Amino acid sequence: MQPERQSFSAWLATGQALAQRLRQISRATGWMERLAVLSTGYHPDPEREQQEPTYYDYPALKEPVWRWEIVWYFFLGGLAAGCYFIASLAALFGDAEDRATRRTGYYLSSLALLPCPLLLIKDLGRPERFLNMLRMFKVRSPMSMGVWCLVSFSFFSGLSALIQAARDQWLGRWWGARWLARLPQRLLALPGMALALFLGGYTGVLLATTSIPLWSRSKMLGAVFISSAISTSSALIALVLRLSAAPVAALHKLERLEWGALLSELLALFAFLRGSGRAARALVGSGPAEYGPRFWRFVAIGGLLLPWLLQTRLLLTRRAHGEAATTGAATKQPERSRVRFSGLLLSLLVLIGGYFLRRTIIEAGHSSSRDARTTLWHARAAR
Amino acid sequence: MAVEAARPLPGVLKQLRTLLEPLRKEEPLPPQTAVGFFTDTSLCIGCKACEIACKQWNQLPAREPVWAGTSYDNTRELNAINWRHVLFIERIGRHEAGDHDGGSAAETAAAPTELPFFNPDRWLMLSDVCKHCANAPCLEACPTGAIIRTEFDTVYVQQDVCNGCGYCVVACPFGVIARDALGGTARKCTLCYDRLKDGLEPACAKVCPTDSIVFGPVDQLRQQAQARLAQLHERGLREARLYGADDTILEGGLHAFFLLLDEPAVYNLPEDPSRPSRHVLPASFWTALVALALGLLGIFSFRRR
Repeated sequence: MQPERQSFSAWLATGQALAQRLRQISRATGWMERLAVLSTGYHPDPEREQQEPTYYDYPALKEPVWRWEIVWYFFLGGLAAGCYFIASLAALFGDAEDRATRRTGYYLSSLALLPCPLLLIKDLGRPERFLNMLRMFKVRSPMSMGVWCLVSFSFFSGLSALIQAARDQWLGRWWGARWLARLPQRLLALPGMALALFLGGYTGVLLATTSIPLWSRSKMLGAVFISSAISTSSALIALVLRLSAAPVAALHKLERLEWGALLSELLALFAFLRGSGRAARALVGSGPAEYGPRFWRFVAIGGLLLPWLLQTRLLLTRRAHGEAATTGAATKQPERSRVRFSGLLLSLLVLIGGYFLRRTIIEAGHSSSRDARTTLWHARAAR
Repeated sequence: MAVEAARPLPGVLKQLRTLLEPLRKEEPLPPQTAVGFFTDTSLCIGCKACEIACKQWNQLPAREPVWAGTSYDNTRELNAINWRHVLFIERIGRHEAGDHDGGSAAETAAAPTELPFFNPDRWLMLSDVCKHCANAPCLEACPTGAIIRTEFDTVYVQQDVCNGCGYCVVACPFGVIARDALGGTARKCTLCYDRLKDGLEPACAKVCPTDSIVFGPVDQLRQQAQARLAQLHERGLREARLYGADDTILEGGLHAFFLLLDEPAVYNLPEDPSRPSRHVLPASFWTALVALALGLLGIFSFRRR
């Protein structure tokens, strides 16, 4: 007992020392600052920025009133949209082996959608007046369009999940369940998918249609959010499939989609940072009111680059073993996936990254609204 | 028989009509002359009478005054309960820093028409207010239709409709409109809509002792502003400029515009803010492009082989 404990505390001490050493190295090299300059293309010049006129640095904009409710809505709404999108792809284009993907996707989509209206209503200043949102249909206001999209998507997502439940015989064998099971799920999938893509992307367009420099300077936030909706959703479905030992072939399709979505998210995020320039400092910088440490650790590297590299490796090894697996599949039972640590880690990293993407962008938006110098620069400099 | 069957129908229709009453679109009132404010900062003496008159007329609460620690500004910002805000900008010793026009400053100081604001050591004051933009971003963003354009061409928040979603707060490029912590709705200057209805001028303009705040028809005010600018330029105050008096800002100008004595950023005003609703198309384009690419990738990933 005694030596074991000693070894544990020694291990703990080594870990702590290592973490401290890493922190020292990180501080000494300033890698975060270098990445910030590299990604935004803006070299901060505090002396020149101090010369710019402001009114005692009082904010020139009002701070957004959106907080954790909106972060969770963006995250869960993205999951609901992406899961529906993937499940519909599996329903329309998939094989028999993709039935698990379809089922998981439809259930997860409506589960993720359930808290969304509640979060949005809670966020209002006058929650009892939430129905006033349906007084208007305003093409110019992304929030109005988003509300209508959410209402109509709820119908498709809920009905698709109900049909799925009836077909899985979770609803019993009475006439209503039999009638539900006969409804054309694949026909619903087409308009549903279009609405899902709208729901996944409009949140970014909504943030871009404001005066907050970070959100609105480059117009790429919608592209980032739709990519993230699909990458986090494929990660979530893959996580469930991995835990339930689904066919490898079904997982393989999801992995390819996730690889592409992560790549598109990386590219869109880079375009967003480049296009924002100085306005993106609130997100990527490592100053006191800047969210760089969280952004680089949990979003850009931990939530995107690392999982993308892991996914690439996984796909390459799959391809190397691919031939043997397909020849065996014809004669034997379809190959079942084993629960592997790297696969689970990958899914979790992408999900955590997707959450922190929304969170850092909202929180850095608050910070951006308080930064009068950048706001005034944004309104002065050519866009 | 047919007559008997038709009888309950009008009753149902009537009920339906009462149910749909909130959705009925009211006829807009006949448009009146567009009115607004011209705030001439060269006349402002920083007495804050406009702030007080505004609070009194609109029955707005006042917070315990705090010193900002910078100048005589203890209002600090326009928000849900401050609809006028007097800025105090201390530009003292600015020309002594030995930069561009030290010579011309000495020249103007010695000019016979010397007024306080011709002095290089000076305070700039500005009574800030909602700009009642011709293309108001808050109105364009509002998803409930609570923010409307009145018959006087001003921007007004209907307090009984607003549900406090907060989208106007981030849409406004001037940081004017804010969500009230108590009422939960968005609030800002109404340009004294109730007083306009009764043919009175807004409280702040009424009370302003130096006529720094002038109320009137926008066209007339624009001419007045141009005349005042020409007069100041003639007297050698080349720094004077108009802000929002033409159609350039937000593609239609402001109905509450200003004569400034320095660049807009000095007054915390954005020089040329972009109109948020113009971002919808480009942002949607990039989103749709990426969505299309991901859709194709999805079909490619899932197709049968």
